[in-house]
Amino acid sequence: MKKRSKVLAGGCLLFVLLPLLVAPAVAGDAEFQTLVDRVSTYYQKRPMPFMGLLSFAANRFNLHGVKNLKLAIFEDVDSSRTPSAREFDAFLQGLVGSSYQPFVRVFDNHSGEQTFIYVRECDKNYDMLIVSLERTEAVIIKMRVDPDAMGDWVDDPVSKGRHSAQSGAVGAVSQKSN
Amino acid sequence: MNVTPARMRINPILILSGAMLLAAFSPTAFAQNPKLDMRNLEPLSKKASEVVDVNLDGPLLKLASKFMAEDNDSEDRDALGITKNLKGIYVKNFEFDKPGEYSQADVEAIRKQLQSPAWSRIVTARSKHEGETTEIYLMTAGDGGTVLGMAILNAEPQELTVVNIVGPIDIDKLSSLEGKMGIPRMGDKEKDSPKKATIQHEETK
Repeated sequence: MKKRSKVLAGGCLLFVLLPLLVAPAVAGDAEFQTLVDRVSTYYQKRPMPFMGLLSFAANRFNLHGVKNLKLAIFEDVDSSRTPSAREFDAFLQGLVGSSYQPFVRVFDNHSGEQTFIYVRECDKNYDMLIVSLERTEAVIIKMRVDPDAMGDWVDDPVSKGRHSAQSGAVGAVSQKSN
Repeated sequence: MNVTPARMRINPILILSGAMLLAAFSPTAFAQNPKLDMRNLEPLSKKASEVVDVNLDGPLLKLASKFMAEDNDSEDRDALGITKNLKGIYVKNFEFDKPGEYSQADVEAIRKQLQSPAWSRIVTARSKHEGETTEIYLMTAGDGGTVLGMAILNAEPQELTVVNIVGPIDIDKLSSLEGKMGIPRMGDKEKDSPKKATIQHEETK
């Protein structure tokens, strides 16, 4: 009976953790999932596994004003499949609607990097949606930032945007955290 | 054909609605918008090596004001004086690999929107040495006193920046916004010697 309980508990744990291990952090976030699906369609690729676990772990801590982090990374993407900036921006605006406002957009024609940052106010905090499409990698981040962290972005959005275009959205998060 | 007096009666609501529609769709009404249509610059995106587009309005602008209010820095206090009443700050920056990759015709898309009587060009600063030109335009209300918006065109050989500030602005405190909220620093021209830089104040009003 004891052994059976252990198996049952293990099964439940696996059932809970499995989605976290294999999927990007998508629970309860249709926008994020739609975005991940669209980027998957563009590149004919699924995002890296374990992102859900990474997000889950990151969300245990309040990283300098960042919480509710959701992350999807597409590695080794075929850059010929990257959508045009105009096309992708139009899609993004259609997806997030009027609740989000376009904040920063950076297009580097040399490296082919496109960075889109959308923001909305949410319960005294700010939801930030960052999409960075690079030559070999695509990153989608959704996070909630507190007003202090958002203040850094507002104070100097261009260099933050440039930085995120150069080093990917992950870099933008770490820069913001500093 | 008999026309009854009731049919001939002029409906004041209809006339008022018609007048409002006419006013709304008149060319002047379109020209009165202090927010520039930056989409006209889209063709430049293909020529530029880097494009940065910043939109700061609504809650983000309120947040910026909040931070400046908490700051003890005098420049920030001046900036707060400007931002607290603003409706939006929009910046579009293009960087090019080499000079001559954009032409004045490209900039015309913006200049066309900055025409009188709504807009007045108040400053043109040219630096022959740097090949840089800065034009500042103001949009004022019908009374001629209240500033409704501002546009700054900064053209360098390898860089073009358009800044559009929507809302009432205190011109004297404008420099406090340089280097903040995506607005590039353009004060270096003031440091140029008179030989290098020519500043013309064009009070067209």
